[in-house]
Amino acid sequence: MEPLAPHEKIFVDSDILDDENHGMIACHECHGGNPDDPNWKTAHDGVIKDPTYPDATAACGDCHDEISEHYRKSLHVSLRPYRLMIHERANTSAGIRDKVEHAMNDHCFRCHSSCGQCHISRPTPVEGGFLDGHLFQRKPPMQEVCTACHGARIAKEYLGENEGVLPDVHREKYMRCDKCHPGDEMHGNGREYANRYEVENGPKCVNCHKEIYNRGAENVITHRIHKDKASCQVCHAQPYKNCSTCHVGKDKSGLPFYKTRASWLDFKIGLNPLKSDKRPYRFVTLRHVPVDRGTFDFYVKDGLTNFDNLPIWKLATPHNIRRKTPQNKSCNACHGNGPLFLQDKDVEDNEKEANKGVIVPANLIPRRQKWQPK
Amino acid sequence: PFLAQAYEDTQCFKCHTSAKKLIEITREIAKTRRVVKSPEIEGEG
Repeated sequence: MEPLAPHEKIFVDSDILDDENHGMIACHECHGGNPDDPNWKTAHDGVIKDPTYPDATAACGDCHDEISEHYRKSLHVSLRPYRLMIHERANTSAGIRDKVEHAMNDHCFRCHSSCGQCHISRPTPVEGGFLDGHLFQRKPPMQEVCTACHGARIAKEYLGENEGVLPDVHREKYMRCDKCHPGDEMHGNGREYANRYEVENGPKCVNCHKEIYNRGAENVITHRIHKDKASCQVCHAQPYKNCSTCHVGKDKSGLPFYKTRASWLDFKIGLNPLKSDKRPYRFVTLRHVPVDRGTFDFYVKDGLTNFDNLPIWKLATPHNIRRKTPQNKSCNACHGNGPLFLQDKDVEDNEKEANKGVIVPANLIPRRQKWQPK
Repeated sequence: PFLAQAYEDTQCFKCHTSAKKLIEITREIAKTRRVVKSPEIEGEG
């Protein structure tokens, strides 16, 4: 994504006056400040940079009342799963937990979005700046908003930027993120969720691929055999990005930083850690996430003493789907193919306990087949 | 057009719709404002 010059970030296109809705609202009605002061240094006293965060009711709620009512519970604003996951791993001592919370405020919770940071400007964590002169964008542009934040994993997978890995087939059909993740999902529905996989109106492959289990459909036997046993990604994803050992801290100037030890491409099938009515599969693709026992050591020692409460290899839905993949070439490209599965030997000794629920024991790896569906 | 006219007359609108003015101001700000990203960041976010 091309960076914006400082003045480009705040240049307002006078075409905003032609917007018969937003163009009728004066700058100071949302942002405050003194609109009559010719001195820019004092005119900005009291200016609110993003009047839509953390509460959009005053700025957007008069007209977009339903959206702004649900907004604070949308995952892009609340970041609730972050907090729940870290609390699950955290030391139960209140004093230590407070320090972990402080560290999360300095790091994890900075990566949120808001109405304005999708529809008017690039998100603040990627240095902000108007998308197009403060003109309101009904559909946020994918590469300046969505993949600006979801870059290292999702964007590289979807756009085919990982070496030797093809782009997602949906990308080749020119589909943008909002094709599967429409505004209704992004804006939230007023319910609080523990993770993104619970979101009621989250994407499902069968929303479009309705016919795959129908009599006469292509590969219907294969799809019926594996229905509810393996997630779509198990057969249709390619190798994806994993990373490890993220440590956070502040440098001598007080600026927050993170350091991750390594990232690598891999493809691992494991046992589903989040079985539900929506995702009943036994086998799913798993991604190694960067949380580490020492992630918050800069702030407090022993911050994550319950580290083993959750797996480090987590349910993943890689965004690099292909119709044909090496593992779906034939039954035995997957069945009996041990290296595709997350086994005990693939997991570091100090992570075995945390991942015991997702490691596939040898007796559960599907056996080689003599039969191949036509 | 009455309200739109009033809003065009504000200082906010006059400055923020003038690239020339904004370049002047952002250059002045750049003289005193420090970087906001730590050089110690390592790895992919």
